[in-house]
This record gives sequence, structure tokens and C-alpha cells, in this order.
Amino acid sequence: MRTTISILLLAVVAAGFFLCLADVPFGEPKTQVGNYYIEEGRAQTGAANIVTSVVLAYRGFDTLGEVTVLFVAAFGLGAVLGAAGGKRKHEPIEPASIVLRTGCRFLFPMLIIFGVYVFLHGHLTPGGGFQGGAVIASAFLLVYLGCRERRINLTRKTWTDSLGGLAFVVIGLIGLGVGGRYFLSNFLPNGVVNQLFSAGILPLIYIAIGLKVGAELTGVVDDLLEETE
Amino acid sequence: MSFLHNYIYYIGAAGLVLIGLLIILAKHHLIKVIIGLSILDTGVNLFLIAVGYIKDGTAPIFSRPDLDPGRMVDPVPQALVLTSIVIGVAILALALGLAVKLHREFGHLDLRKIKELKW
Amino acid sequence: MVGLPLLVAVPLGLAFCLPILGLASKRAVAYVPVLASLFNLVVSISLIPQALEKPVVAYMGGFSPPFGITLYAGPVGLFMSTLVALAGLVVSVYALVYIDKGPTVKYHTLFLLLLIGATGMVLTGDIFNLFVFFEILTISSYALVAYFGDRGGLEAAAKYLVLGAAGSGLMLLGIGLLYGLTGTLNMADIAARIGSVPPVSAFVSLALIVVGLGIEGAVFPLNGWLPDAHSSAPSTISAILSGIAIEVGLYGVVRVVFTVFGASNILLFLVILAVLTLLVGEICAFAQKNIKRMLAYSSIGQIGLILFAVAVASSASIAGGLFQLLSHTLSKVVLFLAAGYMIHRSGSTEISSLEGMGSRMPLTSFAFAVAAFSLVGLPPFAGFPSKFLIVRAAVAEQGVIFLVLIGLVLFGTVIEGAYFFRVIQALFFKKKENKPERHDAPALALVPIFLVVVIIVAIGVWPDAITGLLDSAASELLERAEYIRSVLG
Repeated sequence: MRTTISILLLAVVAAGFFLCLADVPFGEPKTQVGNYYIEEGRAQTGAANIVTSVVLAYRGFDTLGEVTVLFVAAFGLGAVLGAAGGKRKHEPIEPASIVLRTGCRFLFPMLIIFGVYVFLHGHLTPGGGFQGGAVIASAFLLVYLGCRERRINLTRKTWTDSLGGLAFVVIGLIGLGVGGRYFLSNFLPNGVVNQLFSAGILPLIYIAIGLKVGAELTGVVDDLLEETE
Repeated sequence: MSFLHNYIYYIGAAGLVLIGLLIILAKHHLIKVIIGLSILDTGVNLFLIAVGYIKDGTAPIFSRPDLDPGRMVDPVPQALVLTSIVIGVAILALALGLAVKLHREFGHLDLRKIKELKW
Repeated sequence: MVGLPLLVAVPLGLAFCLPILGLASKRAVAYVPVLASLFNLVVSISLIPQALEKPVVAYMGGFSPPFGITLYAGPVGLFMSTLVALAGLVVSVYALVYIDKGPTVKYHTLFLLLLIGATGMVLTGDIFNLFVFFEILTISSYALVAYFGDRGGLEAAAKYLVLGAAGSGLMLLGIGLLYGLTGTLNMADIAARIGSVPPVSAFVSLALIVVGLGIEGAVFPLNGWLPDAHSSAPSTISAILSGIAIEVGLYGVVRVVFTVFGASNILLFLVILAVLTLLVGEICAFAQKNIKRMLAYSSIGQIGLILFAVAVASSASIAGGLFQLLSHTLSKVVLFLAAGYMIHRSGSTEISSLEGMGSRMPLTSFAFAVAAFSLVGLPPFAGFPSKFLIVRAAVAEQGVIFLVLIGLVLFGTVIEGAYFFRVIQALFFKKKENKPERHDAPALALVPIFLVVVIIVAIGVWPDAITGLLDSAASELLERAEYIRSVLG
């Protein structure tokens, strides 16, 4: 009975969806908004990566919301899983083999550097704050899984997390005060396209986002890992 | 054949969405339902990217100043998918946290049997 | 224009500071949502005179629409954001004493972020931004429903999450389809272009988006999550969910249907759906023995009434619907907050255990009674002018169907009166054998409750204080061309 209703519902959704596919032709340009961003993006924002200029400059407010969503999820996870006060269990864990431990300790700084590279060059190459932050979190996950008795310092994680988010909001508010007098408007010089120090405030925002996302996802990993012990 | 070649991405995205919905509606193990949610999100993201594709287009990054702007794909759906993937991760993390806590409290994850609250 | 982004940016900045503040002092964290809501309330009210003449539009990043995101604060947006700030202020003052166990720092952060999500949703002029703030609202509410960590709360949160996440996936699909059809994400620009889109495709994307928003707005048949979530959440969260979250979800539906799509031919369908929601809500509420579930079903009924009034789509009925939204938010907040401490003192959520509370907690019971009378629609409380406006506007419409529907609405109101009177009877007229001494709720909990009671009475006695704002809000929703012109120029 329930399966029949589900199949019927899905048939309705599928039919509705396929009816309108003809109106969204594949491969045709559909929008002048996208063309505007490609044409004017370099001149107005100074970033070589147009997707970055869309994400941070034209639709920067969405990115602020997205950063907040991740913040909500990390905190929600902590609220659901964590006990009040966050006592950590110190049970004896069998240490990993020497090869695993050394390999992890060797790879950890490399992964961190790679993550920092990804978010630092977000305005020049594909990448950006979220991608770089995810790589940094995976570096910490490697340490958790490889060198099993190490844990992150929760205070430092909280500080990085909060300061990253606060930096984003403060940059937006500075734009409101000085700069172009709009929230999140640019107040630093645009520079020459394709250089590291270009695109005004965009690299700064991506650094803040990268550190924040890295700290947050590491916190999520830490919360989930604590539970299983 | 040309129809399939043009619309394969849409059909794939619709297929993923429908599979995800079917899993959410029909399965009663919470982890499977969460996987279905994830598949639904993936299908929607694929659809968004497919909407932005322009024939023979390339990534909208001016790695050399002389790249032709007319042959670049639409950057807006890429930004939308970036946000959507992050939101999907957020929901997934919270859902898995709830699943872990539910398993601790109930001992199993069968949604048919988790009926603590009556009508 | 300078003030508008601050409504989102300042509380967001405070929310990001909360974890660091929590490391230093857990007590201080509880005061930050109070400050943020107070700030929002003051700024919202100060922007209202300006918005009544000409809507306030703020460009994010300095890029003009449709290339940048705009915040649009017309009468509707500022009305809703004032309501959100007021409810947030009242509930967060109450939470200073009510929330005392569990990870309180995380509770207050999530609560503040829920308010930010609601404020952002009502002020935005861009459909993808609507989706992002909708996610902030819903994800924080999933986590807050499970806050107490008991079995019922976890089950309710898990089912709510699955339903809500599936709905938001469908909403994103609809937004993607809409982008493919019109080529832009700005609400005014979509509204200008929607005429040239084939109607079938427009209808499909409208249906997908409305399903996603309607799950949060508790429209029948998407309201299955609501009674479970409300009855297991902490009372402050039930108050905010009933008072803010479902109203903002309904605002999303209304904004998409009226302004973005201008879909006047689905309004009759919405009217019928609304009356179904109302009947389901009121009849199920009548059969409940658990007070929080009863209040939750009552919220479903009221959302049906508000949607009915808005979907009739005349200027008077939309103004009546928004008035009913205000009255419902104020009354539901008082009802849940009063019930919170009554449940705390009596130890159970059954209505029968509340007998004799009238003498044991007189002030709390008095506030509960006032709010119940207001919700049913008795003068001199705020519910009376709102219901009167709705009935009068519906009767003025041509067509027998409206008379039939208004008859069903009045039938629903009678049922509402019946089950609320049952509770009041238990509170005041049933005496317990041993007379317990007076042990009312703490003062810090009673002050915000009575603030709202005063507002309910004040609006009930002088409804003209806000009918001006409501009339301009109704005309903002009905006149799409005006909306498009004020954004795009």
C-alpha cells in the first residue's frame, strides 16, 4: 500500500519534471546575468576566477548565509551529541604501528599546506575557502585515524571558528562604513588580475572562510569520534 | 540518439532525484533514509550544473588574459551548487548525529518501531 | 538604507562571538539573544515610517539588481521582522530562567541563529537567498527540537529532519528549474519575466518550491511533523516554532505565489487547502489530552485560517490575514510559555494534571486565559478584530463557495472555543482536594509573558494602530508591478 502510493507520487513528480525539460534546452545560453558576470567580472572585482567573484562579490551575502549554515550544523551536532561540559573519556587506546604513525605525521603538514594553498589562491584557480577548509579538516582526520591518541585543542578550535566568522561579518560592516557604503562592498584596491595580491577583499574573505570551515569540520569529526569511544 | 546525447544529464539528474525520493519513502532504516537524502541532493546539484552548461564551453577562469569570454559556461549555477553542497553536508552531519544518538537511546534504527510519540 | 543590512549582520556577528563568550562565562551567553532581539526590534520599528512611503531596498556589495542580491524591506517585510524580533525578545528573556540544563551555550547560539534565519528570510529579495536563510531557520530548529535529548525529542527531530530536508531538496530543484527558465535569481526580475515562460514549466517549478516551503509552513498535508516536534521540544522552542517558524514558512509561500509568480489561478486551490488545514487542525486539537499537542494542532488550524484569508486575495482579506498572523504569534507565544512553567510545576503534560492551577499559579493561568480568549476571537483581545476582518472580507467576495467556506471556518472557531474552554475549566473551575500553596512562575518568566498580554489587549482595544501598516502590506502583496518597479527602477 505504502509502496504503491510512493510509486504514484514519484510518477507524478517525474512526469511534471520531464514535461518542462523541453523549455530548458541543454547547452543553450539562457541568461544574460551570467554573461554580464563573465564580461565585467575581471574589471569590477579583479578576480581571475569568475566563479569566485560570483560567490564572494556578487552573491557574497549568500556565502555569508552558507557559512552560517555550516556553523549551525556544527553547533547542532555538538548540542545533540555532546554532554554538558564536554568531558572526554580517557580510555587506553592501542597505538598504531610505527609505519602508520610516521606516515601520518609526515603527511599532516603537507595536507595543511595544500589546504592553505587552495583557499589562498581561490581567486586565481578553482578552489576557495570551503574546499580548502575541507582539505584541512581531512588532514586532522588523518591524524585522528593514524596517530590515535592525539586530540585537537578545543579552545583553539573555538577561537579559530569564531574569529573566522567574525572576520567575515566585520569585513562586510567595514564595507558598509567606508568603501562603497554598501554591506560587503570592496574597499581594497583591485590590483592586477592573476596576481596573488589582487581582487580586493576576496582573498581575505576566503582566508577567513577557509580557517573557519577547517576548524568547524574538524570539530564535527571530533564530536563524532568521541561518541564512538 | 541525439535526444539522448543532449538530455542525458537531465535524465541522470532526474533519475538520481527519483531514486533518492523512493529510498526516503520506502525504506525504514534511518541510515538508508539518510543515504537517500544524500542521493536526492546529489541529483539536484547535477541538475543545477547541467542547467548552466553552454555547448563547447570551458571553465570561467581567466588563467590567461586572452581566453574568449564567449566560450565559457555560466558561473552562477556553479556558485549555487557550491552553496548547495555545503548545505547538504550540514544536513547530513546533523542527521547522522541524530542517528547516533537514536541508536544509543533505542538500540536500533528501525523507523517503524521508533514510535514513542503516539498520535 | 544603511540600517537594513544591520538587521542581519549585527545579530550574526554576535552569534559568531557567542562560542568565545561561552568559554569565559556561561551565564553571560544567555543575555546575548536578548540584546540582539532588542536591537532588531528597535531598528525594524525605526525603519517602518520610511518603508510606508517607499520600500527600503539595500544592495549587497554595491551591485545593482539583477546582478547583486538585494534586501527588500517593504511593509510586509518590516512587519514580519518586527514580529520576529518581538517574539525572539520575549522568548529569550523567558529562556534566561527556563533553560538551565544541557549545553546552554549551544542552545542560545542556535536560538539566535534561528532568529537570524527568520529575519533574513522575510527581508530578502532574491530567491536563492530565501533558500539559504530558510535552511538556516530549519537546520537550527531540527537541532533545537532534539535539545533535551529524550526519546520523544530525538524521534520528532529525526522525522522532522527527513521531511524537511527532502522538502528543501525539492525546493532547490524548483529554484534550479526557475533559473533555467528565466535566467535570473532576483525576485523582481523573475516576476518581470515570468509572463514569457511556458505555463506548464512555471507551474511545475511553483509546485516544487511551494512544497518545500509548505512543509515548514505546516500546510495540509505536509504538517505531519508539527505535533511531534512541538510536544517534545522545550517550551521556548515550541513557542518560537509555532510563533515564528511556521509563520515565516507561510510568508515564503505567500511571497512566492503572489509576488514572484503572480499565480492567481491557483488561489482557489489554496483556499480549499487552507480550509482543509483549518478543519484538520481544530478537530485533531479537540481530541488531544496532552496540552502541548493540543496547542500544536491549534497552530495548524490557525495557519489554515491565515492562509485562507490571504488566498481570498482581496486587500481587506490579506490585511485581515496578516492581522490574524500577528494575533496568533502573540497568543501562541504566551500560551506555550505559560504552559511551560505549568508543566514544570505539575510534572506532566496531561490537561488533567493542570486542574487547580488557577489557584496555584494565578498569574500564569490568567495570562494563559487571556491568550486563549484572544486566539478564539473574543473581544476586547487582539483576536477579535482580526477574525472580524477576515469574515467580513470573505462575505464581501462574490460566490457561494466563499459563504460555504466561511461557514466551515466559523465551525472551526466553535471547536477551538470548545477545547480551549475545556482547559480553562480545568485551570480555574476544578479544585484539587489538597490546596497547594501559591507557587507561581519566576518573575523573570512572568515579565515577558505579561508584556505580550498587555500588547494583546492594547491591539484588541486600538486595532487602528496597526491597520495602516497592514493595509500597505496588503497592497504590497497585491501590486506586483509596484514591487518590480521599486527594485528594478
